Amino acid sequence: MDIDFEELAIFVETLENTDFTHFLYEKGDLRIEVRRAGATEIPSPTPTAVVPRPAAASPASPDSPGSPPSPSPSPSPESSLSPSDPPASAPLAPVATEADVVVTAPLLGTVYLAPKPGEAPFVEIGSTVLAESSLCIVEVMKLMNTVHAGTGGVISAIHVRDGELVEHGQALFSIRPDAAV
Amino acid sequence: MTAHRVFVANRGEIAVRILDACARLGVETVLGVSAADVETLGARRADRTVVLGPARSTDSYLSIPAVVHAAVATGCTALHPGYGFLSEQPELARLCAENGIIFIGPTAEQLEALGDKLRARELAASLGVPLAPGGEADTLAEAQALAEQIGYPVLIKAAHGGGGRGMKLVEASEELEHAWSVASSEAESAFGDGTVFLERYIRDAKHIEVQVIGDTHGHRVHLGERECSVQRRYQKVIEEAPCAALSAENRRLLHESALRIADALDYISLGTVEFLYDVQRERLSFLEVNPRVQVEHPVTEAVTGVDLVREQLLIAFGEQLSFAQADVTVSGHAIECRITAQDPDADFQPSPGRVIRWRPPATGGIRVDSHIYEGYLFPPYYDALMGKLIAFGNDRDDAVSRVQQALARFEIAGPRTNLPLLQAITGHPDFAANTVTTHWLEGMIKEAVHG
Repeated sequence: MDIDFEELAIFVETLENTDFTHFLYEKGDLRIEVRRAGATEIPSPTPTAVVPRPAAASPASPDSPGSPPSPSPSPSPESSLSPSDPPASAPLAPVATEADVVVTAPLLGTVYLAPKPGEAPFVEIGSTVLAESSLCIVEVMKLMNTVHAGTGGVISAIHVRDGELVEHGQALFSIRPDAAV
Repeated sequence: MTAHRVFVANRGEIAVRILDACARLGVETVLGVSAADVETLGARRADRTVVLGPARSTDSYLSIPAVVHAAVATGCTALHPGYGFLSEQPELARLCAENGIIFIGPTAEQLEALGDKLRARELAASLGVPLAPGGEADTLAEAQALAEQIGYPVLIKAAHGGGGRGMKLVEASEELEHAWSVASSEAESAFGDGTVFLERYIRDAKHIEVQVIGDTHGHRVHLGERECSVQRRYQKVIEEAPCAALSAENRRLLHESALRIADALDYISLGTVEFLYDVQRERLSFLEVNPRVQVEHPVTEAVTGVDLVREQLLIAFGEQLSFAQADVTVSGHAIECRITAQDPDADFQPSPGRVIRWRPPATGGIRVDSHIYEGYLFPPYYDALMGKLIAFGNDRDDAVSRVQQALARFEIAGPRTNLPLLQAITGHPDFAANTVTTHWLEGMIKEAVHG
């Protein structure tokens, strides 16, 4: 089975402007599930994409810096990849849930997901982070403010796009804390 | 007119007032709010709302970088600062200009010149505008000599204060040394500049101010005067237009003086030139210029028929003033009451909380400017102004009786308000006789408490 990740990204972007909370598409052995992270709890404008089949777990990240964060196909925790080690929770990839810690913008500004234009992003969905890890930069009038994870764990959702205006208190990332993995 | 989008950098009733003026002009709006103000009437009226920062105003409404960044990032072409908050900050005007955003107000240079009260005083003196005797003194010895010359009591004022802030009353020469050093160090810590100056203290004065407006094409007009003598701790409580206590001669001098100052500055946008009127001596003296829209602007709108905020917006967009001096006529009389969530029986303690009932009177000659609605949670973080009740009548007596009736019919429940005090003031014989001066209210409150 083949998935064009660029197509998938466009597909998710199209969905972004609609009022859905949960979208499921199945054809043959292809199953695409898209959920708006914490739809009832967390105001998140960006959906999280999940392709919960090991077959879809392509290793390379299709992200090009500056582009909207494409849904990461790779469920990163090694343990959850192994069929012999089924985790208690159903989805294999980290999906933002209520147990996840939401990292919000400490101030209004423009968010940058990479340290510098053209560089790889600080984190992607599935990245393991420490409390002191940098997640993004919020720039206000050319003053760069680094946002730290504050919690160790795995990035389960990225709620913003590189270069967009974020408001004070807006959800930026969801982190599945270490204890919950 | 090119398509504009206005960023409103304020909250409360004035944010709603500006948003409404923009909507009537077909101009899009973006409102910058604090995290505590997401559920406000302004947020509902704006085309878009962005959260600038947390509830604390130093991190939201007073954050120049956040405000300008938000305005730029939301594609705004102009920014309205309202009153208070950042409205008189030259830094905001400058940063707007650097980012290609029209600051809806005077230029940064004009704000700077007027923010320094000593410079403004010197400007007034150079133009022959009436002024209370006084001036600058570099040393205590100079201050003492100047005070003797002026005659006690004197006021020590901070050059960068204003609106009653940074003032010290000195009754006799032995108090001067102490007051001088305290005033200077207080000014240093509060305004970042310890410069102070001396002025003769006028005990029995009416506060009178002139509304001026100027466009970028060199047109400047005044829109008559307002009287704001009902004050408590330099906070205006009731304002009216016109001032019924002025002789025709003094009124002419007042308006001419205000325009002379505006002309000397090539003043752009709305401004208010404030004076004290010594009732006994029948003499005017210049106080300061407020370079922004005032809380009490509706009384001028009521008697002139000019929509000041609309004019202010159009001027900022580069249009010419839509009227000349000869077109400005003052007719009738208007009185404004500031309704605040303060308990007059508990030393004016703020009384925030859920507004359970808010029923403004629906009757002739009444305007209410407010952001309050039933169910609104009045936050504890900002000033106590809930709204303004403006009554318009054929003459002062008519306006007084209308405002009394309107106050009696105004129903508010939830927060404690100053409504009972406003009723007591407007029903007082001194108010009816128009003999109120700036210290009258404090005395009246004391009397009410102890008598």
